[in-house]
Amino acid sequence: MSTAAIDSFSEARPARAQSALGETIFRTLCFSAATLLMAALAGVVVSLAIGGWPAFHKFGLGFITSTAWNPVTEEYGAAGPIVGTIVTSILALLIALPLALGVSIFLVEFCPKRIARPIAIAVELLAGIPSIVYGMWGLFVLAPWFATHVQLPILMDFDSNSLIGRIFSGVPNGANIFTASLILAIMILPYMAAVFRELLLTVPSQVREAAYGLGSTSFEVVAKVMLPYVGKGTVGVIMLGLGRALGETMAVTFIIGNSHGFPHSLFDSGSTIASTIANEFAEATSDMHTAALIALGLVLFVLTFAVLATARALLAGQKN
Amino acid sequence: MNDIATPVAPTSPNIAASTEAPIMMRPTGELVLEARQLDFSYGKTQSLFGVDLPVERNRITALIGPSGCGKSTLLRALNRIYDMYPGQHATGRVLLNGEDILSDRGSISRLRARDGEVALNPSGLDTSALRARIGMVFQKPTPFPMSIYDNVAFGVRLHHRKSKAEMDVIVERSLKRAALWDEVKDKLSASGLGLSGGQQQRLCVARGIAVEPEVLLLDEPASALDPVSTAKLEATLMELKKDFTIVIVTHNLQQAARISDHTGFMFLGKMIEFRPTAELFERPQSPRTRDYVTGRFG
Repeated sequence: MSTAAIDSFSEARPARAQSALGETIFRTLCFSAATLLMAALAGVVVSLAIGGWPAFHKFGLGFITSTAWNPVTEEYGAAGPIVGTIVTSILALLIALPLALGVSIFLVEFCPKRIARPIAIAVELLAGIPSIVYGMWGLFVLAPWFATHVQLPILMDFDSNSLIGRIFSGVPNGANIFTASLILAIMILPYMAAVFRELLLTVPSQVREAAYGLGSTSFEVVAKVMLPYVGKGTVGVIMLGLGRALGETMAVTFIIGNSHGFPHSLFDSGSTIASTIANEFAEATSDMHTAALIALGLVLFVLTFAVLATARALLAGQKN
Repeated sequence: MNDIATPVAPTSPNIAASTEAPIMMRPTGELVLEARQLDFSYGKTQSLFGVDLPVERNRITALIGPSGCGKSTLLRALNRIYDMYPGQHATGRVLLNGEDILSDRGSISRLRARDGEVALNPSGLDTSALRARIGMVFQKPTPFPMSIYDNVAFGVRLHHRKSKAEMDVIVERSLKRAALWDEVKDKLSASGLGLSGGQQQRLCVARGIAVEPEVLLLDEPASALDPVSTAKLEATLMELKKDFTIVIVTHNLQQAARISDHTGFMFLGKMIEFRPTAELFERPQSPRTRDYVTGRFG
């Protein structure tokens, strides 16, 4: 009996030694994967900074504050695209957020289970449609419709010097800041709705029952108990949507009108950082033009990074 | 705390559903709530079969029985919380002070059905008003993500407009009745989620009684609590029965014996025996009840 035990023990030793080696390899692989990712990230930042350096060096702060973007005179000020990026993203968020809330609350709270799943899946599939498809739809369908049914009537009915006239002025071709925001909103809506639905599903059914059990109506349960319950997650959903909207390229390039100036009204054409890069990179012949576009990329990188960092900070702050 | 609720497979051949009539000893006092011949089904699965439950005013009525016997289901039928879930269905009668709350003809149904509730409850009965009259406390503490004060005020605010001073009085009284006031009076604005499990459960009791319900339903309220918290909760319930009528579902036979006035033993969706607690525990008449309360079940 005792010898058998000793035998099995001594037999077990090499196996343990082998698994210790396996453990080391496993750890090293995991560590390398993490290191590789960080190295790639650092590489992107460094090469953007180096590639964009000539532009930053020549124009200084003016690269961010000036609106003069002129490849012919080799003058590059990116305020137009930067503002266009921020404005379209925030507008898209303002449009998409209430819709995402509505869709997810309907799916979780009101929709019969049998239909809820197919709808939820359909919403997630919407998120998978390539952005160029949205862009084409925007250019060929939304923009002409918008021009004839919204822009023209406003142009006809309001004096161009009146407040409304000024807010909504612009060439009536449907390619402008507002339609770009609309397309963006449609694109980020499925993401936000899907994540928000997941969040709402984390509210324990007993908490919902307790709220109903006190005599709450559905609205009261959602507004006073479920939304506060997922409170910090909501910030995450918003930032996720914002992050996606900031970097979206193709659809926006199709429909924003691609003018480099500062947008002066809601229906004015404009550009975003991503659309500018997409439009001009193939045609950038001079070194300064290329450098300016790379510098734009760095600005977008920093902008997106700042949004995500803010989201993290907000979430961390709310946990305490 | 020896919890004798041994799960029993419903298909076990030697304890097939009995066909004998339930042994009912109805309370002599005034009934606040009464279930009569109540059937309940989750979709196609029927889980209550002709259950009778008389609930006497200002008494504690306990429901005991093995897991899956339908005692929690019975509780959920009493305030129609099952309305939240499509496919769940109750037939029979549940009388609250004589009004049938399962039928559309009860006088409560004349109250205006609120927006949103209509979709959940096509019958038109105002379940929101009903649930203010029949409060419920769940197995796990369910504090809302807000301050202790707002938790207690939550239900009151839904149904009444109160001044700050009036609300202060209600909150203090409810917390005192739930025996929580001394522990939280200095931190009413702190989050309810920061309390201990036992405190959270008494907070839920305070929230439930703040709206002055006629009946308070408790679904295994102590099963997630340690013995000290359980003892505190039981003392609270004994005190509360002066003002309220309580129905409690419990897995803990000692708890039922300690605090309740009437006890119903349920098995496989039927009420087997309903009698004054001391009699049910000391002289159970049904062999099945005897096996269960003496721990020889199965």
